[in-house]
Amino acid sequence: MKKSVTSTIVLVGICAVMAVLLALTNAITAPIIKQNQDAAANEALLQVMPEGEGFEKMDVSTYELPSTVTEVYKEKNGGYVITLTTTGYGSGMVIMCGVSADGTVTGTVCLASTETLGHEKTFGTNFTGKDAAGVDAIDTISGATKTTAAYKNAVKDALNTAIILGGGSVDLRTEEEILNDHLTAALPAAEGKFTKLFIAEVIEGIDAVYTADNGKGSVYVVGEYFIPVDENGGMQVFDSISLEIQQNVAAASVILGASTTEDIDLTEYAETLKYITSAKKTATGNYILEVKGPGYGIVGGDDYHPASGEYIIVRVSVTPDGKIIDTFTVSQEESKGIGDACADEKFYGQFDGKTESDYSDIDAIAGATMTTNGYLKAIERAFDAVKILEGGNNE
Amino acid sequence: MSQNNSLSVLLKGILKENPVFVLILGTCPTLATTTNVAGAFGMGIAALAVLLCSNILISLLRKIIPDSVRIPCYIVVIAGFVTIVQMIVQAFLPPLYEMLGVYLPLITVNCIILGRAEMFAGKNSVGKSALDGIGMGLGFTLALVAMSTIREVFGAASFAGIAIPFMEPYKIEFLVKAPGGMLVYGCLIALVYAITSGKAPLKKSFTCAGCPNAGNCHTACTEAPAAAETEKGDAQ
Repeated sequence: MKKSVTSTIVLVGICAVMAVLLALTNAITAPIIKQNQDAAANEALLQVMPEGEGFEKMDVSTYELPSTVTEVYKEKNGGYVITLTTTGYGSGMVIMCGVSADGTVTGTVCLASTETLGHEKTFGTNFTGKDAAGVDAIDTISGATKTTAAYKNAVKDALNTAIILGGGSVDLRTEEEILNDHLTAALPAAEGKFTKLFIAEVIEGIDAVYTADNGKGSVYVVGEYFIPVDENGGMQVFDSISLEIQQNVAAASVILGASTTEDIDLTEYAETLKYITSAKKTATGNYILEVKGPGYGIVGGDDYHPASGEYIIVRVSVTPDGKIIDTFTVSQEESKGIGDACADEKFYGQFDGKTESDYSDIDAIAGATMTTNGYLKAIERAFDAVKILEGGNNE
Repeated sequence: MSQNNSLSVLLKGILKENPVFVLILGTCPTLATTTNVAGAFGMGIAALAVLLCSNILISLLRKIIPDSVRIPCYIVVIAGFVTIVQMIVQAFLPPLYEMLGVYLPLITVNCIILGRAEMFAGKNSVGKSALDGIGMGLGFTLALVAMSTIREVFGAASFAGIAIPFMEPYKIEFLVKAPGGMLVYGCLIALVYAITSGKAPLKKSFTCAGCPNAGNCHTACTEAPAAAETEKGDAQ
């Protein structure tokens, strides 16, 4: 009995002594080991932030960051190293980007990619030392636009992430979402649903027009201004907006006949309006028609050619009494450098205000008689269509 | 204890009772870590440090460690020192730590250390145990360096990681593989036997019958050679 007690005490004693020795050694070596391990882990991080030190992985789950961000390391002096996964030409392009405390890129490297041309391996060097404006100014590489644009956007996301993590705020929404917010703010009655009215693209003094899908009016975009016009044509007047802009908007809203349009069912006109691909009627009775015209590609007249892609598609807005408000070339496959001039505003802008009696008095496209004739044919068909539609409505 | 005697305790580990080539102990780390001179040297020094510390402590405690629990006590002491060495190497020599990998913690079960604790430190004075530890550690280190030099220079055409360009076309890659290690090991054992022929203890002289402590040894007298056999088996 005594022997086993002694044995136990001795063994426990030796264990205790060794435990103390181990604890002492551990106290000395543990911080050094940690430092070594960090240094090894940080080797990759140092590639994008050569002067960085004391990297620590951050838990970013509480922040609302760009969706491309996968990992964030905080650097001791206030910088960040951000890993982003984005999609270039192929998916899974992983980019690591260092952002210093003052918001400039310290370096970027592509860790993994499946791109075809390999630009992602060298493109990153362009960003070093650039701030947000500098990154914006970097040109993408033509022929590798998807790769380089995705790279650029990833770097922008990294810069935004650094701003957010630094306590700032960044508008992370897409351009469409931002635009929609502006539109909704201008015209709350539309409940956030707008459709761009392409017809307005060429109206003088107006950058764009968005109509409310629920017919509650439309918003006219002029420069930085979003001017709402309600369904009765009543424009909200802002003191900050110049009189000239207000007049332009008022004029445009009159031309477009307020803002609501109504789709015309073309099935009943299948025979008579076979060249009209779409027709809309505005609240003021104007027509917005998309018309097929035979282009140079339609050999032997458009009745015989099956390739509809080669038509010139012209959008024409016409008053009920046959006056062109506006024309716009929607699509065309005319000869490059010659016939494709029909897609230029210099050409189709000539038709504004013309009527059936004088619409052919325009300057033809030099060297593209067939294209010009095809375009004129489309306009002629638009006039014919309006007559038929008006006649139909009167019945 | 005479000066001469102490010197012989120190020196016997280097050739006459070399743990690797004569006692055939620690075969596993010998074969595993001798593909690179730097790793082999680091392994030797790490084992030397553990051996020295454990020999001293076990020798100090030899009077109070009861015979029945001596092996657990030795293992606790050895494992403790191995862990200490491991932490120090990890902290101050990370490349060596990477290179040795699992063989560093495995020093715990290196039968040279347990063997010396059992055969020598548990029965001799602190001074002699320390000298024995240094001698055996040096012997282990020298054996590893000798073997790794042959294997690395002829097998990988480099020395301690530094390439030897003119050896490149003639390198025998087989030597850095495990069977090549066995071959080199066998040749070196033969060589050491030839050098020390007559002086080296014969196989039977360090079995139970040849053990100087045969008289006061109660059990497990064949443990060391048996353990060596097991180690060898592991290495294969």
